[in-house]
Amino acid sequence: MTMFVHSLLVLVTIAVVFAVAKKLRLTTELSMLVATIAAVLIHLILPQGVDPRSPLPFTEIVRHLVEGSVTYLDICLLFLTATFFMTIYKESGGVAYIVRVIVKAFHSRRIICLILLTFVMLVPGAITGSGATAVLTVGGLVSSVLVAMGVSEDRRIALIFILAAMSAACPPINLWAMMAAAGSNMPYVGFTLPLGFLSIVGALFATFYLAGKGEKVELEKALAELPEPPQGWNGLRAAVPFLLLIVIILCGRVFPANFPVVGLPLTFMLCAASVLLLSPKGVKVNVIEVACTTVKNLQGLVGVMIVVGMLNQIMTLTGARGLLSLAVVTLPVAVLYATLWIILPVAEGVLQYAVAPLFGVPLIMLFNMLGYDPIIALSTWAVMLPLGDCLPPTAVVGRAAVLELDYKGNYYKGFVKTALVPMLFILAMCTVVMIFSSEIGAIIGG
Amino acid sequence: MKKMNMKAIKALILAIVFCAVGIAGYLFHEHRTYKEAVVVSPYVTEVKKLSDYSDVVKGTVNDCNVYIFDSGVEGGTMLLYGGTHAEEPACNTAALLFTENLKVTQGKVIVIDRINTSGSTSTRMGEAYPRFYSIETPWGEKTFRFGDRAANPLDSWPDPEVYIHYPSGQSLAYVDIRNINRNWPGKKDGLLTERTAYAAMELIRQEGVDMTLDFHEAELEYAVENTIVAHEKANEIAAMTSMLLTSQVFDVAIGMEFSPTELHGLSHREIGDYSDAASMLVEVAEPLLDRIRGITDEELLLSGKDRFVMKAGEHGLLYAPIDENGWPIEKRIARHVETATTIMEVNNMLHPDRTILIEGIPSYEEIMANGPGAYYHDPSTADPAYVYYD
Repeated sequence: MTMFVHSLLVLVTIAVVFAVAKKLRLTTELSMLVATIAAVLIHLILPQGVDPRSPLPFTEIVRHLVEGSVTYLDICLLFLTATFFMTIYKESGGVAYIVRVIVKAFHSRRIICLILLTFVMLVPGAITGSGATAVLTVGGLVSSVLVAMGVSEDRRIALIFILAAMSAACPPINLWAMMAAAGSNMPYVGFTLPLGFLSIVGALFATFYLAGKGEKVELEKALAELPEPPQGWNGLRAAVPFLLLIVIILCGRVFPANFPVVGLPLTFMLCAASVLLLSPKGVKVNVIEVACTTVKNLQGLVGVMIVVGMLNQIMTLTGARGLLSLAVVTLPVAVLYATLWIILPVAEGVLQYAVAPLFGVPLIMLFNMLGYDPIIALSTWAVMLPLGDCLPPTAVVGRAAVLELDYKGNYYKGFVKTALVPMLFILAMCTVVMIFSSEIGAIIGG
Repeated sequence: MKKMNMKAIKALILAIVFCAVGIAGYLFHEHRTYKEAVVVSPYVTEVKKLSDYSDVVKGTVNDCNVYIFDSGVEGGTMLLYGGTHAEEPACNTAALLFTENLKVTQGKVIVIDRINTSGSTSTRMGEAYPRFYSIETPWGEKTFRFGDRAANPLDSWPDPEVYIHYPSGQSLAYVDIRNINRNWPGKKDGLLTERTAYAAMELIRQEGVDMTLDFHEAELEYAVENTIVAHEKANEIAAMTSMLLTSQVFDVAIGMEFSPTELHGLSHREIGDYSDAASMLVEVAEPLLDRIRGITDEELLLSGKDRFVMKAGEHGLLYAPIDENGWPIEKRIARHVETATTIMEVNNMLHPDRTILIEGIPSYEEIMANGPGAYYHDPSTADPAYVYYD
């Protein structure tokens, strides 16, 4: 038996055990965990074959599983603290205030209103790199405005999901691009323009395709359906927490030599504290309850990240990751053009962020070698990838959208089907930009 | 009854998790605290700490040993250092081969085995690296820590969302703030690896270093491979070294590349720019670093043999050749050692006033024939006065 057969059998085991576990109604996280453990077991059971390999003591297997589980610790902290901040903001009435301001000011100007809502959805994901954070923080209120604008349930969910996906892709923080760039020794520089262009165009297309047409907003009716913010909210109070966030991030960028490294988790906690300090008198937020709710809401998401880290580590250990990676990079370029738009979202659905080092790094090497602009090409993949967050088995953002907005329709026939056209538009746009990456790179200096 | 069962299951799961965390915790601790014994050459003149040059690293894990071999005869000064990236094992082991065997008869050589020690105290999460690797020696196995490209987060955390290099202002991926080869020339009040680079720059200035050589390994998918990357001050030396080694010694050519002026934080650029030293960096192929690799273990680390990487080579996806013989550790160490000694010889030809003459270092052929382990000494039988720990 060669290493090819060995790693292929590990991959087959993962797929089969995962499918069986899902059939037995285990959760996605537990199914992946069972598949991960099965992968280790088959790795140990399969005879060595012709390729020598080192012994793998039981304690080292445990170490690999535990080490893998903390691969995405930073990202989990980011999810938790960003969501905590936005939930505090929401609970104290800040989000309701902002949405009412938008509706009041722009109810008769649908286009401007939609653009602003798109912006509101893009910001949380752009600064945290997490589409789920965008859904869990502002998704509900943006959805309320869309209801008032006469957008149907399927379209609303589809739009919230796509905007969340594009917000995760939007610079400054695109975790897929950052992870793949770091893995290929490439500075995370020059990505703002291509990522910004692709994600914002994709977001605007989705917004106007899915919500461009609808009833004229009846201000009174819309305001009546929106939650009333507590008395005392004003523009300054609403803006300060975000200004603080921007100031801390910008100070790190503008005065990097003199400003301490705060880290995004602590930054979000400081912003959350500012909300509590600045909320109007009479607003009482139960911080412990919000913290507990935050953790509870993110349990599934954090659980998936932990298990994906373990799966990634075991796939690497057993050669299964390398085999997948090799299979992709040895495809002819024409086939890559024709299939990456489907391979990447599907892989994202399975592996989440692990897909960045798995496919992103070898693809960068390959495209670089073939003379394509690696920054533009990686940007296109990093915008295609989050669209897979509505696909099984993980479907992290899709699930978050359905849960947060209490969607009653059919997941695939309703929500995913409705989202298909804008998703295909974004995938097609990214594919075209990828094919012409060297020409575009030459123009924008990417 | 059902409730009881569920409670029992939860308790059992919790117990399993605690056991797993306990086992892993013990192994992480063992890795973090393992000391690598160094039997320093009897011709060493002084063993300093990096903090002797700048106290910004004093008390930290990165306050590494600095082995000084001063002949007392006027000549040039060269700094050799390994351990920039602890996932590149031919680098600290090549440096160690100098530390344990070097005799300098003219000029001065300074060796650091592990410049970013912190990086060697944890592996890279998600990469399934082994914690240790061992090299056969006549007196048994010599074991080394295998680590990460970046410093251990336990020593430097959190990372900024984007790392802005000092002083160039160039943006880099957040994790690179812990990668010392993106931190040069360092920052006095920065994070751990920035401070380490700063202290090393002080060493270079205070010791009057003329040349530096930074040992590295790279994945075969990476374009900068089997090459010497040289600052413009070192172009002549690097070019001639590349020609000599390619034509006379190595079976796989070693190239020479100019250090890009626009890419900051790298040793070959910044050391040359911020000191009088001519800075160079040398790369050799390491299949374990390729993302398309097969089973990840010590075997691959040492043998450098991998079917998947070979397959990628058949598709023309690699920048270095690979066959069923792989890139074994002895070859990678031998190339680094031979490159360093040839650089000194070329330097002596081009700059006689900065001559460095050395003895005791095996040739490429000798290391390939005897293995690097033949040149490491047994700390248990050595004079304790010559035993240090990295």
